[in-house]
Amino acid sequence: MGKTFKRDIRSLEKVFGFIDEFAARENIGDSVRRSLYLAVDELFTNMIKYHPANANDITIVLERVADEMTVKLVDRDVEPFDIMEAKDPNLLASLDERKPGGLGIYLTKNVVDNIKYEYRDRTSIITLTKRLRRNDVSHPHE
Amino acid sequence: MFHIRMSDRGEVLLSGRFDAAQVENAKAVFDKLVTTTAVDFKDLNYISSAGLGVLMATQKRLKDSGHELKLRNVSGHIRDVFTIARFDLIFDIK
Repeated sequence: MGKTFKRDIRSLEKVFGFIDEFAARENIGDSVRRSLYLAVDELFTNMIKYHPANANDITIVLERVADEMTVKLVDRDVEPFDIMEAKDPNLLASLDERKPGGLGIYLTKNVVDNIKYEYRDRTSIITLTKRLRRNDVSHPHE
Repeated sequence: MFHIRMSDRGEVLLSGRFDAAQVENAKAVFDKLVTTTAVDFKDLNYISSAGLGVLMATQKRLKDSGHELKLRNVSGHIRDVFTIARFDLIFDIK
């Protein structure tokens, strides 16, 4: 299922609602749902941050095939920004040396199994995949 | 929905979802703290890097004057996020 959201931080509430709808339809449990919140929130927020003046909306597509879930974020008419090239923050640094920047992408990498970045026709497409374990999904008919 | 308020005992009480859209609301409270303060996460069910940024900035400011934030009633998703971000190294978490 896919949906387009206004490029605005206030869209996050609707983005979470969209994830809730998907999770309910696919019987996905709370733990994975919160991982989805985090990954989508961080990438959506990043897209707004790096292209605040872009008039295009951002499209999010959520799919599940068997035990694999796919999340796609599509951002049109933008400069390339490969999140996989972003440097991981130094989490062992002292409080003085630690910076909040870079944590969002790092958190995203930690809650999904794979991230793919594509850039074509001035469009950024980020595809996340997450494998579902048996406990991640409820089986109401068993 | 996100809510932040001070309890009668001077603790910061958080509830709901703390995401990038809530940073200004949260800063309005955290920026006023001048002494060691407990932050209660019992009713918070989600936090993103934007929320972590507010906590980290407040901790840096308070530590400069010998004070700190103490993160309390941390569990589930919030604990997972704190663990990934290695907040255990820079906060007193229980």
